[in-house]
Amino acid sequence: MFQQFTLAHGVKLFVRPTEQFKTINISFKWKEELTEQSAAIRSVLANILQYSNEEYPTNSAFRKKLDDLYGSVLYVDSSKKGNKHILSLNAETVNDAFLSNEKVVDEIFSILQTVIFKPLLQEGQFVESIVKREKEQVIERIQSMYDDKTRYAQQRLLENIRPNHPASISANGTVPTVQAITNDQLVKMYKQLLHEDELSIYVVGDVDVNEMKQKFEKHFQFTDRQIIPTSEVSVPLAANDKEFLHEIQDMKQGKLHIAYRTPVTFFSEEFPVMQMTNGILGGFAHSKLFMNVREKESMAYYASSSFASLYGLIFVLAGIDANLKDKAVKLIDEQLKAMQDGEITDLEINQTKSMLTNQLKEAMDSARAQIEIYDQYKELNEDFTVEDWIGKWSDISKEQIGQMASKIEKEFVYFLSGKESEENE
Amino acid sequence: MNETYFKQLEETLYHEQLANGLKVYILPKKGFSKTFVTFTTKYGSIDSKFIPLGKDEAVTVPDGIAHFLEHKMFEKEDGDVFQKFSEKGASANAFTSFTRTAYLFSSTNHVLENTKTLLDFVQQPYFTEQTVEKEKGIIAQEITMYDDQPDWRLYFGTIENMYKEHPVKIDIAGTVESINKITAEHLYECYNTFYHPSNMVLFVVGAVNPQEMMAFIKEDQASKTFEEPQEIKRFFPTEQQAVHISERVLQMDVQKPKVIFGVKSPNATISGNEMLQFELAMQVAIELVFGRTSAFYQDVYETGLIDESYSADFSMEQGYGFTMIGSDSSNPEKLVESIKGAILNHSKEWSFTEEDLKRVTRKKIGFFLRALNSIEYIANQFTRYSFNEMNLFDVVPALEKLSMDQVKEAFETLKNEEAHTSFTIIPPEKNNG
Repeated sequence: MFQQFTLAHGVKLFVRPTEQFKTINISFKWKEELTEQSAAIRSVLANILQYSNEEYPTNSAFRKKLDDLYGSVLYVDSSKKGNKHILSLNAETVNDAFLSNEKVVDEIFSILQTVIFKPLLQEGQFVESIVKREKEQVIERIQSMYDDKTRYAQQRLLENIRPNHPASISANGTVPTVQAITNDQLVKMYKQLLHEDELSIYVVGDVDVNEMKQKFEKHFQFTDRQIIPTSEVSVPLAANDKEFLHEIQDMKQGKLHIAYRTPVTFFSEEFPVMQMTNGILGGFAHSKLFMNVREKESMAYYASSSFASLYGLIFVLAGIDANLKDKAVKLIDEQLKAMQDGEITDLEINQTKSMLTNQLKEAMDSARAQIEIYDQYKELNEDFTVEDWIGKWSDISKEQIGQMASKIEKEFVYFLSGKESEENE
Repeated sequence: MNETYFKQLEETLYHEQLANGLKVYILPKKGFSKTFVTFTTKYGSIDSKFIPLGKDEAVTVPDGIAHFLEHKMFEKEDGDVFQKFSEKGASANAFTSFTRTAYLFSSTNHVLENTKTLLDFVQQPYFTEQTVEKEKGIIAQEITMYDDQPDWRLYFGTIENMYKEHPVKIDIAGTVESINKITAEHLYECYNTFYHPSNMVLFVVGAVNPQEMMAFIKEDQASKTFEEPQEIKRFFPTEQQAVHISERVLQMDVQKPKVIFGVKSPNATISGNEMLQFELAMQVAIELVFGRTSAFYQDVYETGLIDESYSADFSMEQGYGFTMIGSDSSNPEKLVESIKGAILNHSKEWSFTEEDLKRVTRKKIGFFLRALNSIEYIANQFTRYSFNEMNLFDVVPALEKLSMDQVKEAFETLKNEEAHTSFTIIPPEKNNG
């Protein structure tokens, strides 16, 4: 998919020339091991780098410059993938071809260089007032999760099944870890980013590959660094002594979140089989959960499953009338049981293959999705292509899916609801 | 079939109005793997009072019916339409807004067959009392889900504050009580009135051969029979210029207060080019005064009155329009005061230069070009523009022509204090101890 160049040891440039888009997308991804503390520091650092730099010391000056460049987008964000934390610097700018006599692409390169190499430092420290405010912003971002009941319920489920584990560590850290961050830690993390973190750079758009390579070599002199291989995240078994937790908040709907452990991860040979199995269970609008929990029983507006492949976990989510929790759990159990008993039709298999295929092909119509998918799948194979991956689903049999379903083991039921249902229990 | 080439954008649009009145648009996109098709009727939650097809007297139907109808279109005598789409690898969906109901799919294969499924399921209604009853539980859960979302409550609370009579103040999905009144007969009445091809637009965008697709659609439509197109009579109450309620506070289980300051727009009856210009002028004015490069933004960000949730927007359709500026805020009253202050100061003294206008216009052109990478954006927005007698591809030329006087004049509409309102959501009071 991408042509690749090594700019330094541990620094790779991936370029995909295509006329598909009217813009050029550039993405820098710095990776290091995910811990609560590193996530917190990197999230605040991302905000600081996005806010100001030596050349544009105020946010307003910086934004004005970007607006002038036809509203070029530039943002720094914080995310996680498996056991790694990723700090990304992303830019999107209009292709010069659609503008008359403009050279915005070159200017974007010089701005990216400024953001990375010329942060706003005074006597070797970030400006204290900016640090304070951006810590506040990250804290508020973490706290806002509480207002979104689905996200909150999912986070509570994860904390219960995998405490202090990459699966439950938020990419933004926690409120106390953000509060404790010092200016020195931020400066140290910034230097680590420049000199030690593994870095992948992506470019998608109507570009000349060699010209891109030269531009990066000219504007960005990166030093050699170590590569930490991505690997499976080990899962400690039976970490919790409970299997069910009901929590109460002031709300109307019941949020049912169920976790299942599986022996399969993204790195397993059987990963494509698990994609099919999850798809039949609850990945789509033809799946067992949607057809039975929503359409047949009218119990929910949404009822679906997802496979968190890097952690080997399956989650089932349903929004239900809080009084119907037991009935919903039973119904969901029955859907998985049916699959384990081999109750899988050819129609379900064909539909799921078609939908998985469509999903992957369709993602290729977004430059950002091209970058995200390749960034993950290149860990398996740098020659990854969509067509090859689609081929892996073609010969999967009913028996394989039934066997795979039998390896899915229910681990924990988390239920979040209003007070009313508690009284009725 | 007509062909329009937009030179600056390097796009060609193929279009034709068919004998039954259906408007069909096809936009091929180079390099894309998927095709996205939307089939939209100009019928939304606000169309609750109308004269049904073939009748003489106006009826008022239960709130939430357009959305209910959208759900029920997917169920047929031989099962669920999603099953059919899945078999052909198409991901299907639908949505209902204040003014539109859209049915859509995207697929990377079997595009003609999927288009046929889309046309058939939207043009062959099947409602029974039994299937209508069954849906009530599902939609009740959807309504309950939105009830728990503070940002949704905030948005609708602000609209309820602004409008006294106009049905835009009613939640698109209705209420659990109102949907319980819906019958199969209601659904047929609404369907027959609003789903006539002459009230609909079909938009095809992505990996598509325009000649083949147009021929396919024409043949399909010619094989179906429809009544003669008739003008649809809709009724809307007269709405006062002043807001209905100027201030309201709701307590919910949130971490931090949330507030929206809203201004009801007086210019609610325009359409076509006039609407396009006014809408763009308002958006540019709001960007200048409340955007991320404004002195206002810098001030409220640095004093901690707003956070990353901040937004400032203007939106309008025929019959209503509003500006909304809001954020999660530890001091919502003070934020509202600052917003009012900025409106007052800028209407006293408009301090922006031609340079500022140029910068904001460039930003909006850039946004538009980026949005054209998304075929979903093109299809949805094109349809919206077309129902309001505007053309999406006129946006860039209209922006380039926008004058400072137009922007200033648009901004003046924010001045009227009677049109101001605020809605605040506050966390529960904490017990001491």
